[in-house]
Amino acid sequence: MPEFLSQPSVEIARRLELRGGNAWIAVLSPPGGPALALDELRTELRSILQISARVLPLGTATFEGLREALQQPNDDAVLLSAGADLTPEKWSSLDIMRSALERTGPVILWLAPNDVANLTQFAPNIRSFIGGSIFIAAPDGGIMTEEDRQRRVKELEKQYQLTNGEIVRRAESKQLPPEPHFVEWLVLIGRGDLV
Amino acid sequence: MAGPYRQGRLGVTLERARAHAEGLDSRTHDEIQQLRFGRPHEVLSEIRAYLLRRSEEMNTKNNPIKLLRLRQTDEAALIVLGPAIDKGPTPEHFHFDSGARLSFGLTLRGVDGASKLVSFRYHYQLPANRTPEFLRFDLNDAPDADPLSEPRCHLHPGLEKVRIPFSLHDPFEILDRIFFVLEKGL
Repeated sequence: MPEFLSQPSVEIARRLELRGGNAWIAVLSPPGGPALALDELRTELRSILQISARVLPLGTATFEGLREALQQPNDDAVLLSAGADLTPEKWSSLDIMRSALERTGPVILWLAPNDVANLTQFAPNIRSFIGGSIFIAAPDGGIMTEEDRQRRVKELEKQYQLTNGEIVRRAESKQLPPEPHFVEWLVLIGRGDLV
Repeated sequence: MAGPYRQGRLGVTLERARAHAEGLDSRTHDEIQQLRFGRPHEVLSEIRAYLLRRSEEMNTKNNPIKLLRLRQTDEAALIVLGPAIDKGPTPEHFHFDSGARLSFGLTLRGVDGASKLVSFRYHYQLPANRTPEFLRFDLNDAPDADPLSEPRCHLHPGLEKVRIPFSLHDPFEILDRIFFVLEKGL
């Protein structure tokens, strides 16, 4: 299998925005947590493209049903989820009806890494249409690192000349002023239950 | 023009001012209870998209994808950009063409597949040698014992100890004011 570019969902959504309109791309699910990754990509598509985004499973849909679903509406973003149950026959049928799937909004083929071989072998027209726009969904880069968390806690400790223990004690005894910094502090040290 | 005389009108007391302030905090509380947003990672995504769009319209380069960070626990979620305390420009700030800079922290709590607002702080530091030095929009997580001095939703007009109440804005409306009003006015 050729090397594909690994990209966070937000970057994939931005690439799709640059492609504009009725672009087709393929995104390979990451090894762990494909459902979460699919949800992340859907979220980013909605935020970046400012249109709704929905997931349509390819394996269980009839082609007539799929064609209808893609057209009603035809201007949102659609994630076609291939799944492991997509047989070579279904890939071939999908390939034959490629032109019937044309729409105004973008289409994202959501594949397991192993599906690329089937796509290439049994759906060459779709593969050609997608071209080089195949990406591997990478974890979202927006999660705070442990290093960042610790740095922020130290920043607050220095500013207020208080320790984590004192903050917790004051929060538990309802002595903590209701200020955003203290709320952040409690969340940073895993005591959001005191907020 | 002064209104008609009513008993006590000329004798407004500190107690009455506090009662009014309590009323305002109570209305703010009710509004917060009504507000719902997407799940925390969806809010992060929307803020990131917002800042990316604004960045494209600016000359100053910012990378909101790297600047925004989410910390999520079972009880609450924190979305931050820039340092917790503004002590001078850093690469983690969002920088404006005017020379101003922005940092913020937004805390949410998950409820039924959505989230509600707990608190926020948006610190807009004006360019050097401008007055006021900063404007900070704060939403406290709870009412203070003295709502007259510390309204739940307030603006610091460049003075740390002065808090002026303002109507509840959602996280995007605050950004709207910063980008389309404050920044344009410099």
